[in-house]
Amino acid sequence: MVRQPQAWAPTLFFPLLLAAVYAAQFSKAVNLPEFPYPDVTFLDFILPACVIQGVLFGSTNSATDLAGDIENSFMDRLLSSPVSRSSILIARLSSAFIYGLVQATILIIIFFAFGAELSGGASSALALVFLTSFLSMGVGSFLIAIALRTGSQEVVNSLFPIIFVFIFISSAFFPVELMDGWYGQIAEWNPLTWIIDWTRVITIEGFSWDAFLRASGVIFLISLAGIVTSIHQLKRRLAVAS
Amino acid sequence: MTMTSLKKTSQLQVTVAITKRGLMRMRRLPSLMIPSIIMPIFFVVAFSGSFSSVVELDGYSTDKAVNWMAAWAILQGSAFSGLGGGGLTATDLENGFFDRMRAAPITPSALISGLVGYSVTRAVLPTTAVLIVSFVALDADMPGGLFGFVIAYFTAIGIAAVMSLFVLGIVFTMKTLKSLAIAQVVMFSTMFLSVGQAPLEAIQGWLYHVAKYNPITHVIRMGRQGFLGDVTWAETQPGFISLTLLLIGSGLWARACYQKVDI
Repeated sequence: MVRQPQAWAPTLFFPLLLAAVYAAQFSKAVNLPEFPYPDVTFLDFILPACVIQGVLFGSTNSATDLAGDIENSFMDRLLSSPVSRSSILIARLSSAFIYGLVQATILIIIFFAFGAELSGGASSALALVFLTSFLSMGVGSFLIAIALRTGSQEVVNSLFPIIFVFIFISSAFFPVELMDGWYGQIAEWNPLTWIIDWTRVITIEGFSWDAFLRASGVIFLISLAGIVTSIHQLKRRLAVAS
Repeated sequence: MTMTSLKKTSQLQVTVAITKRGLMRMRRLPSLMIPSIIMPIFFVVAFSGSFSSVVELDGYSTDKAVNWMAAWAILQGSAFSGLGGGGLTATDLENGFFDRMRAAPITPSALISGLVGYSVTRAVLPTTAVLIVSFVALDADMPGGLFGFVIAYFTAIGIAAVMSLFVLGIVFTMKTLKSLAIAQVVMFSTMFLSVGQAPLEAIQGWLYHVAKYNPITHVIRMGRQGFLGDVTWAETQPGFISLTLLLIGSGLWARACYQKVDI
């Protein structure tokens, strides 16, 4: 992060730009009849989604670095050294988690500076940072699996639009209750909608164990699937290397 | 045939040849074109779906979000197409082919026009794709009739030309493919700080003032008018003037930056 600011700066810039623009463009949307939180500002409404968006964009970095290591043969040198195989994966997953943690903290501080409010105070902020970092690791684990499978930075980077699609077809920027037809139906089924909605409960209504555990549970399942896939791909790569 | 007219003809041929080269590259590498077609389609679907209820707010002057968002998606697709000439140039600069073109008897204007021609031609594809999806799948309206379509294409082509010139200026200055990331940030920020997704009446705070004076606002209004009602000169004129000024400004910028290729 210190040596390559160009790798993470856009992941902070775009969520902040979208937050600034949407907060001004759709500020009157909270007055719509079915809007679920009529008493909050639109900035408060989109805060958790923007943090999640930034962290998800940043989750590609760990996998891109791993793919870069495979491309420039650093991974081969690592495998020929007496390094525990599992530590390779654990290091990347930890990196995704810490990366998400730093990013979420920076984004929340900037949001506060621009007048956003978290009704649960510090406990809501900590819950938001933890959930988004955990999600960064979960999504990052899938991307790490793809990096291990393909060994290509280009392929990992090309997955960026898929993350973008998942975010937009969810309740990230507008409540599902106000979406029409099949689009609203898909958004309702999107697991990201569940995570965002429960995180929103924590940031708007105050910290709640029920919402926290529900969001954590969905992220746990995503992470579990991603880590199992990563382990499988690592084993496959090790088998090919030996 | 006089010497001057012969020169003009050959430089026009150069422009056409550079445009054709870009289009051939696009045909050979379809992966270059897929994001610039898929993303605007996704934008029109996503924005129309996500923000389907915002049209109930004041100022939208339509009862379907797709009528508002289709023009926005078209112009985003065009802006993205504007990156085409810049991408081609950055690749040529990195592999040295651009130096060979500069060593040939080609005027800078012909070279730049060819690259802009490529970007502008590229813009027709996402525009058509968004229009097809908007009308076939999302039930968009065009009360402006044939003029509505003409003005939408005209605006898309104009934005592609402006963005192409702007990106070329950045690429000529930085001489690397990485400069496209900077170009994208500036380009999309300018587009977002306008009436792309919401009318001025709905915008509050600092963005209201920025969007009001952003020339892109007038251009978007010009391209969007056919989706919302009749095409009128009153709505076209500010957009036309803004687009012309943007073209002159970005053209001068690209031409001035061209000198930096040697530095």
